Amino acid sequence: MTQAAALLQNLAAAGFVALGVAIAYRWYRERGRAQAMLALALITLAVVAALGRVGDPQHPLAVLSLVEIVGFLLSGYFVLLFRNEFIPLGSFAFQAANLLLAISIVVGILDVTALAHADPRVATVIVLEIIGAWAIFTGEPIARFWLASRNLPAVQRARMRFLSFGFAVLIAILFISVLGGSALRSPTAIVVTELVVLMVIPAIYVSFAPPALLRRIWRMGEEDELRAAIQDLLIFSPTREVLAERAATWAMRLLGGNAAFITDPDGKFIANAGIDPARAAHLMAEQRKNPLGAPDRVVAVPLPLTDGQGSLGVVAGPFSPVFGTEEITQLRAYASSVSAGLERARVTERMAAIESNKTQFLNLASHELRGPVTVIRGYVSMLEGGLLGHLNDRGRKAAAMMSAKASEMNELIDEMVEAARLEDGGLTLKLVESDLRDIARSATFSVAPLVDSRHQVDLDLPERRVRVKVDPDRTKTIIANLLSNAIKYSPNGGPITCHVRARAGIARVAVSDHGLGIAPQNLHMLFTRFGRVITPETEHLKGTGLGLFLGRQLARLQGGDITVISVPGKGSTFTLHLPSASAAEASANGATSSAHGAAGEERVHTNRRSTD
Amino acid sequence: MPAGPLEAGILARWQLSGRGSPAHVLMIEDDATIADMYRVQLEHDGYRVTIATTAELGFTTMTANPPDIVLLDLLLPDRSGFEVLASLNERFPSHPPVVILSNYGEPAMIDRGRSLGAVEYLVKSRVTPADISGQIPTWIELGRRGGQGES
Repeated sequence: MTQAAALLQNLAAAGFVALGVAIAYRWYRERGRAQAMLALALITLAVVAALGRVGDPQHPLAVLSLVEIVGFLLSGYFVLLFRNEFIPLGSFAFQAANLLLAISIVVGILDVTALAHADPRVATVIVLEIIGAWAIFTGEPIARFWLASRNLPAVQRARMRFLSFGFAVLIAILFISVLGGSALRSPTAIVVTELVVLMVIPAIYVSFAPPALLRRIWRMGEEDELRAAIQDLLIFSPTREVLAERAATWAMRLLGGNAAFITDPDGKFIANAGIDPARAAHLMAEQRKNPLGAPDRVVAVPLPLTDGQGSLGVVAGPFSPVFGTEEITQLRAYASSVSAGLERARVTERMAAIESNKTQFLNLASHELRGPVTVIRGYVSMLEGGLLGHLNDRGRKAAAMMSAKASEMNELIDEMVEAARLEDGGLTLKLVESDLRDIARSATFSVAPLVDSRHQVDLDLPERRVRVKVDPDRTKTIIANLLSNAIKYSPNGGPITCHVRARAGIARVAVSDHGLGIAPQNLHMLFTRFGRVITPETEHLKGTGLGLFLGRQLARLQGGDITVISVPGKGSTFTLHLPSASAAEASANGATSSAHGAAGEERVHTNRRSTD
Repeated sequence: MPAGPLEAGILARWQLSGRGSPAHVLMIEDDATIADMYRVQLEHDGYRVTIATTAELGFTTMTANPPDIVLLDLLLPDRSGFEVLASLNERFPSHPPVVILSNYGEPAMIDRGRSLGAVEYLVKSRVTPADISGQIPTWIELGRRGGQGES
């Protein structure tokens, strides 16, 4: 057992030496002040461990002991400096640490010289002081890193925790072996502690230079989250910039970097996460100038876009593990998804711009049309009024026809203005509590001029009030539009009914005709902007294709909808659904509208329709 | 042909002006076609009409030949109708009633016109010159009462 213990002690010491050498080699390759501090800490620790196995433990050489003690203290101090590199210590804390180091070294010198053969209790106190100082030097960074790691990407977090864990175990072993006294001097206890030390060595090494396998394991959590989020990221990001910004952040998380950026083919930065463009550009230039100079600190992969090749880059932070082949492959795969997303966003934005141009055109055209219509209507009305001289019967008939057509034109312009307003978010509803029966009545009255001998419009109203909270003018327009469609698309006449009912919190106005009907495959076109169903029977009928589009949009803004049931050749029923006044209260703050009370009326603003 | 409502109307307007002369309408409108059309109707109905094709000309008339009512377009070559209205409020605190006649019917614009003190805001294509002419006495009366209320 004693032999086993000695063997394990030798092994642990050899392990520390190997650790020191490996880390010295990595440091030689990578450089960097923070890494240097950690490397120094581990190398001095390795030296101490090695010296501990040299010579006779019963009769230690004083010089050797002093080197051991100072090396041991310095190894702790270097861990503190390592921490100081990226979480700077306060000047007071730094001076206190220096003082503690100085005192401990003095105590160490006293220990190996003056007090070498003092009372064992004094010796224990001295050892405790030295180990205590070391524990403070390493313990503070361990706690600090552990706390700081919570806000870092998973890969960096895992790496920091490995480091914290390794040092924490070393502190624990040192304290236990000193405080435990003779109980822990037994070979069994030594075997156990040395085994633990042997297990800790890889943990510390891994924290310094994590192998690809471990990096992959650390990344797994992030990859799972990315898989879940990638659809949102690529498809539902509102703009190309937002998408790029999100994609960069994910790239950073995925590789455990501190910053990430995305550039367009012309080198323009479209996203910078955690880095300013100038710094990113500088790093990229450095990388290009000297690809081997600072290996693994910046990794950039090409981003194929339609107009050339952009790039997606991740910049390492102090805790980022190395960026190996594995990471580059991963980033390339990710970059191709990001490319697809960015291209989609570009197409969507172009389409939105076209939509917006359409809306602007509609807006401009409709307002420009109002000028000429004003003059036509004005002069026609003056002609009709006899102001411009007397007309004969035929002239009067022509004037009346022109007047009717000019009014129709005016209504079409109003529809276009309303559609443009709806699209660009300028629509304002004035919600008032009303009786739907009154609105249906006035709508029926307003279409009376369209009704000829072949048609008959029946108004079917309930006896009780149908309370709704709506914009009365617009609701009247919706119903009047349904009625005028019913008349227009019943060229052979037949009864048309306007049926008003309220049930289960929903008020309905159903307009039924016995007209042409609509084929099922054409129903989807009805409610689209400018969507008209053109068939041989309807091609001669005029319309903008805006009426039902507006009707449905306005109904939805008021918490309702328009639905249709139609049988070709038999007729159609269009139903306007609106929440009853009591139900409307509850849904007034529903998803489609935001209501602001203003002097007894509520205004509901539309939002720009997203084009997805 | 009976000397009917037409003469009676003219007489009423003479009296309305309160000065024994026909009521004076200032129309600030840069579209000559529309302005001419209104002139035909309004002069036929017995009003004295001045057309100003720019805001500046409108102000000149305000000083030289004060009207009883202003019909104001919003899109003018030199400045917007809203600016004209604001300057009127500033330079002529007891200016006659102003009616806005515009191609735009946006609620925000209507609210703005009203808040600047326009007695009425109308979309041109929805009204005929006869409608306007028929309403003028009411607006003048409204302006008089409003003006008295303020002072």
